[in-house]
Amino acid sequence: MKTCIACGMPMKKESDFAMGDTSKDYCVYCANSDGTMQSFEEKKQSLINFTIKTQGLDQSVAEKAVENMMRQLPAWKECF
Amino acid sequence: MKTKRQIQKEATRKLILDTAYQVYADEGFAATTNKIAKAANVSHGTIFVHFPTVECLIICLLERFGSEINEHLHILSEKDENLETFLAAHINVLIRYEDFYKRLISEINSLPQEAKYVFINIQSVVSFHLNQVIEREKDKIAIKDIPMHIIFNSWLGLIHYYLTNNYLFTVGSVLTEHKDELILNYIKLIEK
Repeated sequence: MKTCIACGMPMKKESDFAMGDTSKDYCVYCANSDGTMQSFEEKKQSLINFTIKTQGLDQSVAEKAVENMMRQLPAWKECF
Repeated sequence: MKTKRQIQKEATRKLILDTAYQVYADEGFAATTNKIAKAANVSHGTIFVHFPTVECLIICLLERFGSEINEHLHILSEKDENLETFLAAHINVLIRYEDFYKRLISEINSLPQEAKYVFINIQSVVSFHLNQVIEREKDKIAIKDIPMHIIFNSWLGLIHYYLTNNYLFTVGSVLTEHKDELILNYIKLIEK
């Protein structure tokens, strides 16, 4: 099973992929409306916001957890 | 194509991770690498060929555990699950790893900082799916006006309380025995 290079989500069905295109390496949640992949800063900010919204973490903890996660992902290797 | 040596190396790495998983589940994260080596029937040095430090071993193990949870929940989310079936899916996944997860939540504060971040990210996958279900179910069931993080943390708090105090409720698997009760009453708590 493919996993999204930008967030690590497993991608199995068509609707998991950006624009429903199974040849893409990133998921529907990591794509902009035109189908391009979100930038590092955009993705980082949206993950931080999401983590705070759904888990109530302190901003600095959320930032570090997100950075830690993004560091492992192929799309962002060069950003660290 | 992988060489015989690469295949062997990967098999040994997997054996170490599988064994560490079992040893930590049985004895907690204070178990020594010596113990893991003995249980895996490999030399002590072999562990450090694959994982330079104990910290690396624990982090790799948690990442693998997180990926497995991620995969299970994702597969389940393909079906049109509702709140009840999602909560059941979460508990079912945890039942598969119950002893290890119990150790993890009991000892997380004494684990290395990076392991704590991995743990947060494991929970992010669960909160992501729960958030999706709640959003989708909004039209069907009325959820109280509670912030999403309280909805999620209350669920996690409930199952973690039962897990860490297993002995208060049963001698067997607390999640298996109390699954239906926890799900049913949690939904009652958050429903309007």
